Amino acid sequence: MHQRTGASASGTRLVKRLLAAGVAAAAMAVSVSCAATQNIEFWTMSLKPKFVPYFESLVKKYEATHPGVTIEWVDFPGDLIQTKLVTRIVAGKPPALVNLNVPWAEEYARDGLIMPVDILMGTAKSTYVKAAIDDLTFSGKIWGFPLYSNVTVIACNTSLLKQAGLTRPPRSLDEQLEFAVRIYEKTGKAGYAPALSKPDGFMLQQGLPIVENGRAVFNSPQHVALVKKLAAAYQAGGILKDHLFAEDNFPTVIAAYNGGRLAMLTAPPAALNRIETDAPDVYAITKVVPAPLGPTGIVDGGWLIHFAVPVGLDPALLPAVADFARFITNDENQLAFAKLANVFPTTVAASNDSYFQKLSAHPNASEQAMAVGAESMKQSRTLYVAGIEDYDELRRALVNAVEAGMTGKQNVKAALDAAAALWNKKLARQAHQG
Amino acid sequence: MNHAFRQSLRAYLFLAPALVLFAVFAFWPVGYGSYLAFTDYSLIRPPHWVGLDNFRTIFENDMFVTGLRNSLLFLLIVPVIQIGALALAVLTNNQLPGIRLFRAAYYLPVVTSISVVGIMWGFMFHEQGTLNYVLLQLHAINAPVGWLSDDAIALFAVMFVTIWRGLGWYMVMYLAGLQAIPAEMQEAAILDGATRWQRFWRITVPMLKPTMMVCTVMSVLAALKAYQEVLVLTQGGPLNSTFTALYYAYDQGLKHLKLPRGLAASFVVSVCCIAIMLPCLHYFRPKHR
Amino acid sequence: MQIFTNASPSHPVRRIGQYLLLIMLAVLCVFPFWWTVVTAISSRGNIFEFPPTFWPQAPSLANFAEVFRVIPILAFYKNSILIAFWTVVWKLVLCSLAAYPLARMRFHGRRLVFGLILATMVLPSEVNFLVNFITVTKLSLVDTYTGVILPNVVSAVSILLLKQAFEEVPQDLIDAARVDGAGEWTIFRKIMLPLIRPWLATVAVLSTVEAWNDYIWPFIVMSKPEQFPLSVGVLYLAGTYGSSTRAIAAGTVLTVVPMLLVFLFSQKFFMRGMDGAIK
Repeated sequence: MHQRTGASASGTRLVKRLLAAGVAAAAMAVSVSCAATQNIEFWTMSLKPKFVPYFESLVKKYEATHPGVTIEWVDFPGDLIQTKLVTRIVAGKPPALVNLNVPWAEEYARDGLIMPVDILMGTAKSTYVKAAIDDLTFSGKIWGFPLYSNVTVIACNTSLLKQAGLTRPPRSLDEQLEFAVRIYEKTGKAGYAPALSKPDGFMLQQGLPIVENGRAVFNSPQHVALVKKLAAAYQAGGILKDHLFAEDNFPTVIAAYNGGRLAMLTAPPAALNRIETDAPDVYAITKVVPAPLGPTGIVDGGWLIHFAVPVGLDPALLPAVADFARFITNDENQLAFAKLANVFPTTVAASNDSYFQKLSAHPNASEQAMAVGAESMKQSRTLYVAGIEDYDELRRALVNAVEAGMTGKQNVKAALDAAAALWNKKLARQAHQG
Repeated sequence: MNHAFRQSLRAYLFLAPALVLFAVFAFWPVGYGSYLAFTDYSLIRPPHWVGLDNFRTIFENDMFVTGLRNSLLFLLIVPVIQIGALALAVLTNNQLPGIRLFRAAYYLPVVTSISVVGIMWGFMFHEQGTLNYVLLQLHAINAPVGWLSDDAIALFAVMFVTIWRGLGWYMVMYLAGLQAIPAEMQEAAILDGATRWQRFWRITVPMLKPTMMVCTVMSVLAALKAYQEVLVLTQGGPLNSTFTALYYAYDQGLKHLKLPRGLAASFVVSVCCIAIMLPCLHYFRPKHR
Repeated sequence: MQIFTNASPSHPVRRIGQYLLLIMLAVLCVFPFWWTVVTAISSRGNIFEFPPTFWPQAPSLANFAEVFRVIPILAFYKNSILIAFWTVVWKLVLCSLAAYPLARMRFHGRRLVFGLILATMVLPSEVNFLVNFITVTKLSLVDTYTGVILPNVVSAVSILLLKQAFEEVPQDLIDAARVDGAGEWTIFRKIMLPLIRPWLATVAVLSTVEAWNDYIWPFIVMSKPEQFPLSVGVLYLAGTYGSSTRAIAAGTVLTVVPMLLVFLFSQKFFMRGMDGAIK
């Protein structure tokens, strides 16, 4: 009897222990599976259909190493993505990450539609190129994970340059204009085609501010002088006249270059691929050189695309979102993407990769473009005017003023003065409304 | 009494679902939306009354003012569509062999989704597109025109597409009206020696007056509320030149989540529409058969 | 009703002139469709060039295959079909239910109800999309077919058409049924509805096309591309393919063809529908 009691007592203790262990194990299993199934939806802008394999493999890789997380990739064209983001925020189901450009992000940040990512980014901040972080810093906080950017290079039609007696590329805006005029005089073709639908970016790159202390300052003597310089080159025929002030003059400009009617094309390196397919003869005689740095040392053409985090996300999801965001914008992935897309990565290690530095013995124009661009990337910033409501209408006033001044319809100073007055009226009202 | 009450009850049971849906999706938005236009409604906070602030904001906003002006410019298409549709109806109001096929062709744009229409005309309006080619061949223009990229022209290109799409619709309305004119009247007039022209002006037009009134009013309202064509063709560009009042509401409300502005703009459009409708309804009521 | 026509048999010149005019206008209306089809079928040649090609070059279905590969176009079809189907079903049910009392019952407030329904035709309903979206959000109907269908399921025009139809049913049929002891609901279901079948068909056809082509509301309500109906999907396609015009053209053709077929086979419904609406 006694023996049995002893045996059964230890047996009971054993059973109890086993039960306890079993319960604990079950609890752990339950908690693990409860903590699982985190769904992260991320949106890219206009990256289908070209990059479907890249993103699909990226998602698979991440899901394989993170068993509790499912990633959903959605892509929207640029003209639809804003509306869908807004309707999803209204519906209370925003995506975890969304591709934005810098001006959009600045406005959404001001209006409280996206959240700062300082904490989410954490120590990864130092892996990104400083210029990119600067682009995304508004009101002292960082508002996105940089993904890729671009920079302008100059593609030169060497045959036209030679005809004009030019032996080296232009090293400043003044030289660009001077060379352009000379090219026109000697060859009858235009030399230069700036994107003057964004005169604000143009002026900023030359180190001339647009707004200071809430007032428009683009009618200062320096600004007037700049526009006068452009006007002179325009009227001497050096600047391509077609669609100079159109919202998007890039198709016209690249068509002109391909057709041999434009000697120097300022474009991102990805354009070289188009030249290669559309006009192989011009491609063969194209030499790519860096675009001149302005007085600020900034290169034109920066257009940073990044991942922003909309407001309204479930806070429990944020750590997983941060982890994925850091993953998708890390060195390795950015480098892979940059190679595929002919754009530039925004992490320090990736942009220093030898892929951008080495050149074959006779680099073709595309390779030259990438090497040249990589060098210039360090000084690439997205140039725009921040913090102003309804910016487009103001920009339109400035475009019209510059156009009137350049084409001679109006005196340059008078045109800029009129536009500045308009800006000041609206800016004053905005300041008043707070 | 009891029977009448039961009858009413039954009637309302039949009507209930439709009335509820109308209340929620037709009447409520007009009322609530109008109220919200006077508040600072953003989804997170409850609305606070701000009086005319939103209206002040939008009327000082170049995009809205341009939009309103463009919506009024859109009224230019009303006579074009009405006269064109009437002409089409007269042209197809016969038994010529194959006339059904022609009527179907003219109605084709109407049964096509506006998104598809926008894409197709985007092709036509391309710099190197067919429209420019044809016009160049006809020597009507000297160089390719940027129909959708030139801010002086884009609005008219959009208006043209609206006309293209609307002609068939009104044509059918006028056809029905024409076919309701008793044949005897026309035959009697011919016997009396009236010319086509006289018959047209003295018989056809007066008998079509009700149809014309209905069509004109619908056309005017549609012009004021135009925005979907802008959305698919130009998205308000180039340089905001193709904004319309209601497109501004869409843009501000659903792209930038600036709801007070969107609602204020919608309110302005509603007011314009009602301002036009009321006198028309009044004009109609005594004559309503 | 005898149609008065301007046919005068003995003017061949005028006849030719008429046909010329008709053909020119028809070309203007149909040409964009033709160009899109040609572009979709061709696989070679520069799309935008002078002179443009008006005939398919190297016809192939490659562009269509491309569209199927990258865009969930089958999902778009499914969504369009389901949305159109349920819209039509519910529309027929609810609008006939609403039209019947207006046509054949006497009740308090009949004039008022009729006036309210007419009022919805003159209300600037396009301006409602903002508030309707907020409503749909609050009802948690975002991303659902219900959210897309609900606002469109009753329409004054359909109700008026069906009211017209009900009014044309001979009274004696109804009287006979009442004598037999049939209630209102039975009369509605067993007598009225079957008798107005042609009108129901008209409403069905008109509503199908309207629902199929509606794009702004589904675009606002549905958030993922796989949920878009074709009318929205084609814009998604156009944005995604950017400058690849052929793919866009192929997607456009896929969107238009179904409705075109419906329209061609049921043309008379449209013309008749207008007839009723005017009255």
